[in-house]
Amino acid sequence: MSDDRNANSAGDFAAALRRNGLTIPEERYEIMRDAVARMQDLLKVLDEPLAYEDEPAVLPRYDLGAKR
Amino acid sequence: MSAQPLPTLAEAGRRIAAGELSPVALTEAALARATALQPKLDAFIEITAERARAAARRAEKEIAGGRRRGPLHGIPYGLKDIYDAAGLRTTAHSRLLLDNVATADAETTARLEAAGMILIGKLATHEFATGGPAFDLPFPPARNPWNPAHFTGGSSSGSGAAVAAGIVGLAMGSDTGGSIRLPAAYCGTVGLKPTYGRVSRRGVAPLCYSLDTTGPLTWTVEDAALAMQALAGYDPRDPGSADLPVPDYSAALRDGVKGLRIGYCRAFNDDGEVGQEQAAALGETAQLLAKSGAEVIEVQLPPNSQFQACARTISHSESFAIHAKDLQERPELYARVTRERLMLGAFISARQYVQAQRLRRILTRKVDALFERCDALLTAIIPGPAPVLAETDDGPWRRQQPLASVFNVTGHPAMALPCGLAANGLPLSAQFVGRAFDEATVLRAGHAYEQAAGWINKRPALAVL
Repeated sequence: MSDDRNANSAGDFAAALRRNGLTIPEERYEIMRDAVARMQDLLKVLDEPLAYEDEPAVLPRYDLGAKR
Repeated sequence: MSAQPLPTLAEAGRRIAAGELSPVALTEAALARATALQPKLDAFIEITAERARAAARRAEKEIAGGRRRGPLHGIPYGLKDIYDAAGLRTTAHSRLLLDNVATADAETTARLEAAGMILIGKLATHEFATGGPAFDLPFPPARNPWNPAHFTGGSSSGSGAAVAAGIVGLAMGSDTGGSIRLPAAYCGTVGLKPTYGRVSRRGVAPLCYSLDTTGPLTWTVEDAALAMQALAGYDPRDPGSADLPVPDYSAALRDGVKGLRIGYCRAFNDDGEVGQEQAAALGETAQLLAKSGAEVIEVQLPPNSQFQACARTISHSESFAIHAKDLQERPELYARVTRERLMLGAFISARQYVQAQRLRRILTRKVDALFERCDALLTAIIPGPAPVLAETDDGPWRRQQPLASVFNVTGHPAMALPCGLAANGLPLSAQFVGRAFDEATVLRAGHAYEQAAGWINKRPALAVL
């Protein structure tokens, strides 16, 4: 997985491709860069700090959610 | 008989039990209809005619001998081509798996076969249940029976088309971010995404381990209940399977909506994603539920953007992990749209993945809290009727954020069912959502609405040859 802090920069985009062994045809390169930038924009909500006790979700859910 | 849609599962089952309908004749009708409509709809990747005929003869003999297994015995069905059926190819609609012959049934396939159902073929999908409709694959994309120039929705595209066209009464789909409910919505059928863990995923090609679910597309809610009775239940060989009792789904249908409190999530209508026609149809759905005896209150979900951040992060990360080696070594075998969407996972960090799973738990708690006040939720599932296939978004990043993946993030059961027709004659759809593992209430509310609204009586004109 990449370091997302500067994933929108040209250098980091290329580095993430290299690190993951991926290639993108020249004519699709800017389209992919734009897509990654848009994705990172949506993912900014994940930068909000969470409380220590907010653990990752686990599945399946045996707690049945709300009471029946 | 191929000139008419096949009867619903419930009707076929009743007629077979009464000796009025032969499984062999029913299977021949399904095969004839599948073959006749294939040039228009491309719903199937493979029609398994000889296997189906042999199974139909066995079913007919068993039933005639007094060994009827249950309400689904002798009735045809189809499988999205990511489900294994022993001896048949599972291609996932991909060039990468053209020679992939399954050696065993998926657990779901095995359950439907044990119920006596008759597999008539493997159905089109978006490649590996992701990507989008693509024309650079060995098989063409499925077409919408209401208008073949329009998108079926996906990824269970052939499943939506086959049920809407009346070729089969049941087609299996999978749902990681809406892939059962979106084709159901765009094709005007019922599509139920069960609670994560309710129906086994074993033997179904994975896309995202912690979001994938399997479930039925049917013409009616009654049929969805019949299918769920056969499908639901613990599978010790699926690590995500929940060991919980399975209720009588058909019995729940008799209770109506009186006494239910339904939370109407109008909020999706206000965030610019849902069009006027769809919003109006959803409002009418809420009104009809109230008229039918439900108490309808307005509730609000957390912002869709939070759900989408979770869904995209988790889905892209896990699917990239699954496909990374092939993306590195033979990327040219994927459709362009599949390859590009899968590659997005390379740009998500470990920190983001963990944060998404933490936010997922918070969002799930918030949705669970709504169920302290409500028995079911009513929400939008699509922004409007199916777009034109040629104009479908095929870029790596979707222009419009889907509404469907909210309940993949939380795991709650959710069902799409028709709630109207747009001015262009294409279906509109509503989504009913329930507490975790309470598919029974989802089916109950959906059945009551379906009976009151009457949309099940509207079939696509294409279905009458």
